[in-house]
Amino acid sequence: MDNLKTILIVDDASLVRLYYRSILEPAGFRIEEALNGVEALEKLQSAAVDLLIVDINMPLMDGLTMLETLRQMALPIAATPALITSTESADKDFAAARAAGANYYLVKPVDRDSLLEVAAMLCGAPQ
Amino acid sequence: MAARAAADLEGAEAALSRALRTETDLRVREAMLTGLARIGTPVAVESLLSMLRSDSAALRTGALDALQMLRSLGAVTSQLLRDADPDVRILSCELARSLPAPEASSLLCEMLAGEQSANVCASAIDVLAEVGGPEALGTLADCARRFRDTPFLLFAINAVSDRINVKSASTRG
Amino acid sequence: MAEAAPLSREEFQQLCDYLYRRTGMVFTETKRYYVERRVHDRMAATSSPTFSSYFGRLRANAQTELEHFINAFTVNETYFYREDDQLACLTKDLLVERTRAKKPGASIRIWSAPCSTGEEPYSIGMWLLENWPRVDDYDIEILGSDIDTQVLAHAQAGIFGKRALMRLSPYLVAKYFSPLQDDQWKILDELRDSVRFSSVNLVEPNDTRRHGQFDVIFCRNVLIYFDDTSRRIAAENLYENLLPGGFICLGHTESMSRISPLFEVRRFSDAIVYQRPAGGEGHG
Repeated sequence: MDNLKTILIVDDASLVRLYYRSILEPAGFRIEEALNGVEALEKLQSAAVDLLIVDINMPLMDGLTMLETLRQMALPIAATPALITSTESADKDFAAARAAGANYYLVKPVDRDSLLEVAAMLCGAPQ
Repeated sequence: MAARAAADLEGAEAALSRALRTETDLRVREAMLTGLARIGTPVAVESLLSMLRSDSAALRTGALDALQMLRSLGAVTSQLLRDADPDVRILSCELARSLPAPEASSLLCEMLAGEQSANVCASAIDVLAEVGGPEALGTLADCARRFRDTPFLLFAINAVSDRINVKSASTRG
Repeated sequence: MAEAAPLSREEFQQLCDYLYRRTGMVFTETKRYYVERRVHDRMAATSSPTFSSYFGRLRANAQTELEHFINAFTVNETYFYREDDQLACLTKDLLVERTRAKKPGASIRIWSAPCSTGEEPYSIGMWLLENWPRVDDYDIEILGSDIDTQVLAHAQAGIFGKRALMRLSPYLVAKYFSPLQDDQWKILDELRDSVRFSSVNLVEPNDTRRHGQFDVIFCRNVLIYFDDTSRRIAAENLYENLLPGGFICLGHTESMSRISPLFEVRRFSDAIVYQRPAGGEGHG
């Protein structure tokens, strides 16, 4: 049985998902992907993960709505740690993310070191 | 139900867009947004465009989704890619995706050539991964020089340039 | 004509990104052979000389060409007891929840859309008779609808060939069908009469609205082929046609994440289904 930590990357930009994967996979994480909030909730119902990395602007269901919905579910997955990523950097944006249930916030474009540091902090080392 | 009926009446655009700003019920909002998309008049489009600037992520998402349902995207997209607000430019890159590849590529490159915001570039490049042709390579290379300290953009530009180069090779051979 | 060149890694990636974004279907390197073969088939069918020109065509004619492409990866044949894990989910989980608040004799309304030549709604009826102990405790209504009136006529007649029956045990065939000549079977009148058929256009609210609200809707392998606007409108219509707390089942390769944000995801042991949130107005 493997003890790999799993990260679900939720972003509608395929290159962003690819980029995060290129950083996190070599660091030992298993990666799952979703491209909007609805798909993320669907995937979480099938398998819990150790960390969510969620973009805000996505089609059909944005990241904040997704996180709010998740946090209100009466299921263990409701407590999944979540890193919000966004192009916005104003105080009100941090506040909105926190109110939605985010555990951390990174401003895009996200760099390698920050991503690894926050991933380790929110879900522990990869294995 | 009332929201869907409203879409069939004249002058509905203003009523719908006013209501949308305060409507919290997802189901009702959905109906209003598809209503505006179906009306599709310049006024309706204007309403949707103004919602792109909303503070509410949910409203921005809904407005973008609704705009993508419209047929006449070319002119709207071109205008939006020149908007002063970088957030609007970001969302507009997605609109360009619905255009024929050559048009989309051309509009995005035109914007990219002078773009100073890293996140706007990122959005444009993601769409170019799908629509970009050889004519985009020069603009992408310039962008890489301009943003040589932004690792994600270098990664993205590299990935897209590779794709375009491979496609050009197979078209020739 | 020379054999089509294999896809490069970049071309494969580009195509898979596109398919994932449009349909939610994930193709990885392990499926390369099948994807490549399909690309080559479609390149020939559309007279596209290169992958690049085919990809351009795919993007430009998204609805029709995408459907052609995806058809190779979905089971399009209709037959009895197809996707029986959803039928299992129906009796094990969905109806258990739906009947929690229903008195004996209350109605249970199930809709199969599109029903094509009838295999799906008849399968639902048969499954309930065979697998649900409480089938006689409620007034079960099954509606089968399609936009194609020809297939509806076929469904109404209730006559099927060997292929349609291939997943059924001899016991079930003997119990619910009577043999006609030429390898055809006619469905038992009692089962045939338990399904009502109607012509419905899922994108037209005036059409869908008049059928009222349902406990469970099966809407498999149709929404994903609509264009973006029609898809969303159809999803809204289906939402209206669900009782609060009612369920909708899509095809195996489909996901609401490419269709509409209105429904909640529910995962059961046999299937993932979507639910209209409970609370809010129902019409009875």
